[in-house]
Amino acid sequence: MIGVIDYGSGNLKSVTNALEKIGQKFMLVDRSGKLNEVDKVILPGVGAAGYAMTELTRRGFTEILRNLKTPFLGICLGMQLLAEYSEEGEVRCLGVIPGKVRKFGRQGLPNSTILKVPQIGWNKVSIINETPLFEGIDDEQYFYFVNSYYLPVDGGNLIARACYGAEFAASIQRENYYGVQFHPEKSGEAGLKLLTNFCNLC
Amino acid sequence: MLIIPAIDIIKGNCVRLTQGDFGKQKIYSKNPLNVARNFVLSGAEFLHVIDLDGAKSGKPENRDLIIELRNKINVPLQVGGGIRTFETIRDYLDAGIDRVILGTKAFEVDGDFLKKALSEFGADKIVVALDVKNGKLMVEGWLRGVDEDLEYALLRLKVIGVKYLLVTDITKDGTLKRPNFDLIRDASDFGFEVIAAGGISLEDDLRILKGISRAVVVGKALYEGRLNLGKILAISRAGNFNSNLSKRVIPCLDVKNGRVVKGVNFLNLQDAGDPVELAKIYSADGADELVFLDISASLEGRKTLLAIVEKVAREIFIPFTVGGGVRILSDIRGLLNAGADKVAVNSAAVLRPNLIREAAKQFGSQCVVVAMDVKKVGKKWKIFINSGSEETDFEVIEWAKMVEKLGAGEILLTSMDRDGTKAGFDLELLRTVSEIVKIPIIASGGAGSLQDFKMAFEKGKADAVLAASLFHFGEISIRKLKDFMNLSNISTRL
Repeated sequence: MIGVIDYGSGNLKSVTNALEKIGQKFMLVDRSGKLNEVDKVILPGVGAAGYAMTELTRRGFTEILRNLKTPFLGICLGMQLLAEYSEEGEVRCLGVIPGKVRKFGRQGLPNSTILKVPQIGWNKVSIINETPLFEGIDDEQYFYFVNSYYLPVDGGNLIARACYGAEFAASIQRENYYGVQFHPEKSGEAGLKLLTNFCNLC
Repeated sequence: MLIIPAIDIIKGNCVRLTQGDFGKQKIYSKNPLNVARNFVLSGAEFLHVIDLDGAKSGKPENRDLIIELRNKINVPLQVGGGIRTFETIRDYLDAGIDRVILGTKAFEVDGDFLKKALSEFGADKIVVALDVKNGKLMVEGWLRGVDEDLEYALLRLKVIGVKYLLVTDITKDGTLKRPNFDLIRDASDFGFEVIAAGGISLEDDLRILKGISRAVVVGKALYEGRLNLGKILAISRAGNFNSNLSKRVIPCLDVKNGRVVKGVNFLNLQDAGDPVELAKIYSADGADELVFLDISASLEGRKTLLAIVEKVAREIFIPFTVGGGVRILSDIRGLLNAGADKVAVNSAAVLRPNLIREAAKQFGSQCVVVAMDVKKVGKKWKIFINSGSEETDFEVIEWAKMVEKLGAGEILLTSMDRDGTKAGFDLELLRTVSEIVKIPIIASGGAGSLQDFKMAFEKGKADAVLAASLFHFGEISIRKLKDFMNLSNISTRL
């Protein structure tokens, strides 16, 4: 049973529609107590890190998520919340992986270049380390991104990377925690394959 | 990004230190001029010369050698080490040195040396060296610590007008242990033109730095043969814009009473099929996103649309936008709840711009697409509403800036003049708008040939392109279009 965390941040429906499509049983988890009933956790998220952390704390998720032993997949903001700190809202996050989430676009590009922010669209994902999450997915596969903030590639725990103005982490892993910056539920066949892989993790 | 090879000099020899430790020096050549010549032969366009004796003593000990380098080498030089007086600065600049690097004097507690130097010589000639060891600023050959807080220093330097900042993590310098990326990022965030230094040793370091610094100083890695100058110069130059984001192709499906319709300018509407089936076909064909436009203009039509949206959301897993007759916030909420990823607003936003702000706040900017219909009236590009029937006082530039400020995530820009003509997109309109806002532009109106799409991306600077009848009538297949884009070197998701 997959638990999809509902903390008022983002469109859950896309994720649950995708899970239904791949035939996975899931339930919405809006209070930490319900986590007992699931064996995998998905943390989706679209929106601001500051607001998200407040909501996660309010619903009692923060400590439990920090100490989770079951497979966990953070999507987009859900991945960023795994970091120590986010510039979005200047907020401390879960701190499961090291690093600081930064905003695209303020850094050293030539003046003539406009970097559109947020990044919206399909970007090429290069796999750096083989993991079960990307099993059966080609290297340099395109996935769909919508993000203004990113996790740099040099923080460690990197599974895959992409480039938008700056090199950024497309996917990370630390033990049972996985994160993807892109939206697998919006990335066509490749995305559904990734979600299937996650659901098949032991 | 500029690669700047380094030449550090002690007693006329070309050396490298480790972590700035004079006790850990290695002499690589007794002839710095030769070293410089070789760098230039390999393609270097700028050189970094440090008078280490000068850094320690406070006087330009190796000045004559440096001037000789200036006279015999024909690329710009930036010089540092022992530059502590106006006389020294003037001497170097007059001799043709392009920039002087100030370390110690930039962090002096009393006096306005730096401020006066910037005023006297100009910010283009001054590089401030930010040398950090375990969070502490170091000066005088990196031998003395300074009390000033790092972040405060960055702010102070920014305020007095420093343009170039040479950022070095001393603990990384000469270690071949990769640079301190976070330090460089933090400095970059303040808005300086950052020259990164200290520890650069892998090609990947350059790829990462490409997104965060304007230039990189490379030292030991070149001397030890860890990095090949020719190769890293190629990396730094590859593609003038570091990004693999693909340009998007978006079919538009007009929906009326539960069916997709096709026609030209709303005339002779023919049934084109079931929305969900068509969505699946386009998705399989390679469409990057879809747009559904409700042209029912009725309450019944709206209910049917919601049902379609729910169905589409269960069947296709690429992003889709829904628009047409969206009037109030609850319309937007309804569509998003039904499963739409984004909602397009047009006339309603013009009549009540705050709708954009409210929607962006509640649902997030990424969900809000502002569609605008534009027609040239005299010399101005005017905004039209109500399916292009009514001219407003808004001009496209002011409206585009306004919607961006209000929180729109994207702009869907339709040229009414070109729509249905197949004469190509209005490239001037597209480029004008694309260059004044920082949000993506979806081009619409005028697609007729493969070449038109190419122009929209290349000349029009569009981030995405929308087309309807061209795809519906099967005149161009998405697959074919994408192959063409790929061959034209346009970043495409194949």
